[in-house]
Amino acid sequence: MTDVTHTLHLPVQHPHPGLALATVVGDVDVHTAPTLRSGALETIQQGHPRLVLDLAQVGFCDSAGLSAIIGIWHAAQEAGGSLSLAAVPDRLMRMLSMTGVDSLLPVRATTADAVAALTDSPPASANR
Amino acid sequence: MTQQASATDPASGRRPEVVPDPSVEAARIAAVRRYDILDTPPDGAFDRVAAMAARLFDVPVATVTIVDTDRIWFKAAHGLEGVKEIGRDPGLCGSAILRDNALVIPDTLRDPVAANNPLVAGEMGVRFYAAAPIITPDGHRLGTVNVLDTKPRSITEDNTATLADLAAIVLDEMELRLSALRALRNEQERREAERAAREQAEKDKTAIAAFASTLQRTLLPPALPVVPGLELACHYRTASAHDVGGDFYDVFPVGGGRWALFLGDVCGKGPEAATVTALARHTLRAAAQMDPDPVTVLSTLNTALLADVAAGSRFCTALFGLLAPREVGGFTVTVATGGHPPAYHLRPDDSGAVWVKAVRPKVGMLVGAFPQALFAESTFLLAPGEGLFLYTDGLTEARTTQGTMLGEDGLTGFLHQRTGPLTATTLVEDTVTLLASMPDGAGDDVALLALSVPDAESAPDTGVAATAHTTAVPEHFGQE
Repeated sequence: MTDVTHTLHLPVQHPHPGLALATVVGDVDVHTAPTLRSGALETIQQGHPRLVLDLAQVGFCDSAGLSAIIGIWHAAQEAGGSLSLAAVPDRLMRMLSMTGVDSLLPVRATTADAVAALTDSPPASANR
Repeated sequence: MTQQASATDPASGRRPEVVPDPSVEAARIAAVRRYDILDTPPDGAFDRVAAMAARLFDVPVATVTIVDTDRIWFKAAHGLEGVKEIGRDPGLCGSAILRDNALVIPDTLRDPVAANNPLVAGEMGVRFYAAAPIITPDGHRLGTVNVLDTKPRSITEDNTATLADLAAIVLDEMELRLSALRALRNEQERREAERAAREQAEKDKTAIAAFASTLQRTLLPPALPVVPGLELACHYRTASAHDVGGDFYDVFPVGGGRWALFLGDVCGKGPEAATVTALARHTLRAAAQMDPDPVTVLSTLNTALLADVAAGSRFCTALFGLLAPREVGGFTVTVATGGHPPAYHLRPDDSGAVWVKAVRPKVGMLVGAFPQALFAESTFLLAPGEGLFLYTDGLTEARTTQGTMLGEDGLTGFLHQRTGPLTATTLVEDTVTLLASMPDGAGDDVALLALSVPDAESAPDTGVAATAHTTAVPEHFGQE
């Protein structure tokens, strides 16, 4: 998966009531970031403000992806929910850490960790 | 030619002088004006009609006249040298113009009205007159085709019809001329409109270019100032000549001999990013004048970007530094970061290489993304002989020949191993050379800002020379 893909899919599951697990399939750049943003915002607006983004299948994510993630975080906050990230690719992790975004967004190694963290504790604590 | 009495005008002896109806006459004059023929130069076609009429009727004089408000103007005059126009006296042409059919006067002296016409009573002594009106398709009589003789004569009905045909030919000629005139005018108007449109487009283009150039100047990083005791150098280029970059930097005084500097990178590209670039630059400058403390300045910028209409979607990373000169030389530098790649503090080490230390304040979040963003600062001494290197991630994300990104490790390795003098100018020059050696150059916008304090040994007694180098502006700037 070295070539940048130009399409992005975002299948959403609901492992728990009120909780959405969106799997990002494809690379996130200036072309595909809007799809990620709009797909996630739609999920939040449909009444699932507690959102986990599974990034295990993302080969590439640049600052446009970071922008989309921050936009989704704002929308989730406004809806009284949260955004957590699971299986973050290296480059995005470096950006999250460099920009201090990882201090606001829970970043988990796996989706299972992320879902567990959200269901074991009240949603508010995930947002600090 | 058979001798025959006037066929068309049985009452030629008793012709009442019809006074033209003013509204009819006004419409007639409008029609005359429409054909735009009065006072035009002689024209072969009309001259030929007059000559043909004279030949056909075997008369010495034949004319084509157009009747104006107060004169009868000769468009063509065969056998009448030097006469351009005559008065609109009744009797001959002045009367013919009032009729729909031909006027034939076999002997003018026997016609009470014609007998008093100056052409009859005067030197010319016209005795025979016949005329056919030139009638437009909408019924306006513009003038007449006339044949005149100095002796009385009769003409046949066929002759009269011929005269009417000649008048019709004159009208055809005038119609042709009018349509040619109209085509010419349309063409001229079209050309004029085109020329005006072209001129307007040129003006618009110039105005837009001037506007864009002014706007671009306000968005581009300025030339560096001269800071006493410090050498400064920078490099700036945008990845695309058509894009306004999202990278920005500035160095400026904040009072008390202190200087502020910043370098940042707006997330995104194009006009949208440019508005954030402008907002960020102006906010940083203004905030620093109020209180140049780096954490305070970045907090102010965070608040300003979040207060913007598109709150939470416009953000940047930035480094902000405050330089306070020390009496012994060098500067006390305080740097805060807003999620930006670290600045590197550089010092020659004993082995001839360069000691490279990333300046990393404890925290420092993306600016403009979160209301609760935290910032912290680090303070250190920039001593004589030392340098400070700031950059945007277009440098660390440039691809090496191995296809991997240069990265922070690659950059620190490069800074550590380079052997050139540790001056701001050579730091920037060497880094630009490094970028140029990459297969694709820098794929993204790049801004570099380097500072160095000249070594005491290399400085003249009077103090170090202040220099500033703006090593590069975008290649497209200043061009059309």
